[in-house]
Amino acid sequence: MRRKGYRFLAALLCAGLLAGCGAGSGDGNDGGGAQDGQNTQTDGGDGPDLSNIYSGELEQNVTIRVLENDTAIEQGYFQELIDAFNEAYAEYGIVAVDANMDQYSNLADDGPYGYGPDVLYQANDVLMKYVDGKHIYPIPVQELECYSQIPERAWEAYRREIDGVTYHMAVPVNVQTGMLYYRKDLLPEDWETAWDDNANGIPDMIENWNDMYRFSQQRMAENEGQFGYMRSMYDVYFSSGFLFSYGGYVFGSNNTDPSDVGFSAGDSWMGASVLLQQSELMNEGCIDDTITVNAYSKLADGTYFATMTTPDVYTLFLKELILAYQAQGMDEEAARALAEENLVMTQVPMLPASADLSEENPELIPLKTMGGVNGYAISAYTKAPNACLAFVEFATSYEMVMRRCELLGIAPARSDVAENRGGTSEMIYQKLEEGNVVLMPSVTEVDQIWTPAQSFFSDLAKDAFREPGEKKYDDPEKLKAGLAQVDQQIHDAIFTLSGQ
Amino acid sequence: MKSRKTLRFMDSVVTHMILIAVCFIFLFPCLWLILASFSKSGSIYSFDGFFPSEYSFDTFRMLFTDTEMYNYPRWFRNTLFIATMSCLIGTFLVILTAYTMSRFKFRGRKAIMKTTLVLGMFPSFMGMIAVYIIMTQFGLINKMWGLILIYSSGAPMGYLTQKGFFDTIPGSIDEAARIDGATNFQVFLKINLPISMPIIVYTALTSFVFPWSDFILPKLLLKEKDLYTVAVGLMSLGETEFARFAAGSVFIAVPIVILYFCLMRFLVDGMTAGAVKG
Repeated sequence: MRRKGYRFLAALLCAGLLAGCGAGSGDGNDGGGAQDGQNTQTDGGDGPDLSNIYSGELEQNVTIRVLENDTAIEQGYFQELIDAFNEAYAEYGIVAVDANMDQYSNLADDGPYGYGPDVLYQANDVLMKYVDGKHIYPIPVQELECYSQIPERAWEAYRREIDGVTYHMAVPVNVQTGMLYYRKDLLPEDWETAWDDNANGIPDMIENWNDMYRFSQQRMAENEGQFGYMRSMYDVYFSSGFLFSYGGYVFGSNNTDPSDVGFSAGDSWMGASVLLQQSELMNEGCIDDTITVNAYSKLADGTYFATMTTPDVYTLFLKELILAYQAQGMDEEAARALAEENLVMTQVPMLPASADLSEENPELIPLKTMGGVNGYAISAYTKAPNACLAFVEFATSYEMVMRRCELLGIAPARSDVAENRGGTSEMIYQKLEEGNVVLMPSVTEVDQIWTPAQSFFSDLAKDAFREPGEKKYDDPEKLKAGLAQVDQQIHDAIFTLSGQ
Repeated sequence: MKSRKTLRFMDSVVTHMILIAVCFIFLFPCLWLILASFSKSGSIYSFDGFFPSEYSFDTFRMLFTDTEMYNYPRWFRNTLFIATMSCLIGTFLVILTAYTMSRFKFRGRKAIMKTTLVLGMFPSFMGMIAVYIIMTQFGLINKMWGLILIYSSGAPMGYLTQKGFFDTIPGSIDEAARIDGATNFQVFLKINLPISMPIIVYTALTSFVFPWSDFILPKLLLKEKDLYTVAVGLMSLGETEFARFAAGSVFIAVPIVILYFCLMRFLVDGMTAGAVKG
């Protein structure tokens, strides 16, 4: 009797296991309609056939919830966008509303339970994380008006090959990368004669890091409490660009192969050497995120001359500078005008090919910067994919991206907008085109790069404050070893610790 | 004689110095936050050393008027509603549970007491994922009543303190009331409740304070910005909003202080309200 019972139990367990195997061969995700859409697509014509997701017939009388970033909401752009869209699609009864959620909310957490947005605007590394869980729908981008206007490099950030078919998971809108912010009124009075060797009207310290280094030394010599260029070195997003400029990279095969980690590739140690030299002219705030957080007020009160950060925080710098001028007795209007004139956001300086910041007349190479592409994606949990697609097309139209540029000062991914706007927008666009913006990898393994790289950069910055006998990175071999260790740690994190 | 006096004096001085030092350690962070909330610049990095260089009420004004991105008044209303309702329902349930456990002997009572004691040892955030999934099934995500339900229904788990208090009230009072013809409900309502005011006040205060300052549960269940509580809202502030954060943190203490001063009287009154006489 007992034996029979055991046999029955064993049979039940086997059946359970087999059933489990059957389930495993599916998609392993309860994400609803998303899987059906992706698994049945075939390559055809200009892009994959997505007609099983997008029937082409607009859903009538639906409300689509759109997740936008805080700056767009704060500056009033988002309200303009949804007002214009709602007016244009009033005849279909389609209404776009603010998803009213945190800009960093995770679709993978909320979407499956029906609480996520229908359309979301986030960075490429965030959006592409949703692809593995099939939380977002692919988009028939070839059918969109903006397709030909957006450069290949921006599309690459949203491309994913599944079963031999290439899909685009979002539509790029805005390119984010490091820019140099500085105060024009803190330039030396004689800069046009003493700091403009090539007489091109641009101060030398803005054009190359060697002169920025010299100027930082001069400012510190004049007043110990003042600095030239300041940046939190531990911030991988900004510091890694120095490594990339000398041959480093994040992942191999164009950032798609996580088995090949390349922070130590090429002569990337030279980039680390540049960072080390820069740290020597900063205070200990460069070891952690102190400078990142205080740069707004320190640039405003004149303690720092320049810093590097993304274009989307321009208004924060401006706000602090206006307050600083007001504190000096100016009225708000005059303070604003002066702040707008004196706060300059421009492209980052060039690097010396030798990585020696004290070299006179060095050969210069461009500084590559890590970047991201923010774009619109469509949730796989939406009940109105066609209406969402219409919204994405509307929001990425020339008029709306141009308006976004005007109000938010973003760098557009659209070439026509970049060209017509000129200035910073065009500058960043060109940089992207030339390959000097290294886009954050759009694979989930990118999560593992931050902590090891952060520890290394932090330790590197600390080296500037160690006693001569205690320095850890005082020769190239030690820098190379440090970077190789970063690669190993990232590799281990991806393939050992996370169990891949 | 003289040396004893000196010794006593020294003892007093040392004791007071230690007490002052301890007070300073506890008071200083609060004082710093209060002063920071009045900072004119709004940035922690413009402070003159440890304290703000200029003071103004601008941050508090901004906290209640500049609500486009950070709607503090709404967060405050949400928190007040959740905390008040949780306090009312939670206190009612805890007192009933504690009274039942203290006064009535029934089958399984000991087992229930032991089970609740063991369950109480597990940290509440352990069941967060289960709570989230259950709330999604009930459609209580993005609903303030969902939070109130969890806070209120979880409150009776901590009934032991209240039970301890009811245990100290002599059973002879109940017996005397019953001899006079009082029902169980009347004994509870007219005899035990008035003399249990200190524990009711204590229960009400703790039932209010926990939802008032909780972060994990509102963060988990309230996805929409309009439904944020103060704790979640303050955590969502941008990196340059330190003064707003400080002002919001200071202002959040106001209702607790008011509640404490309003209820403090009952803590004392209740102690002297009832006793076994003669």
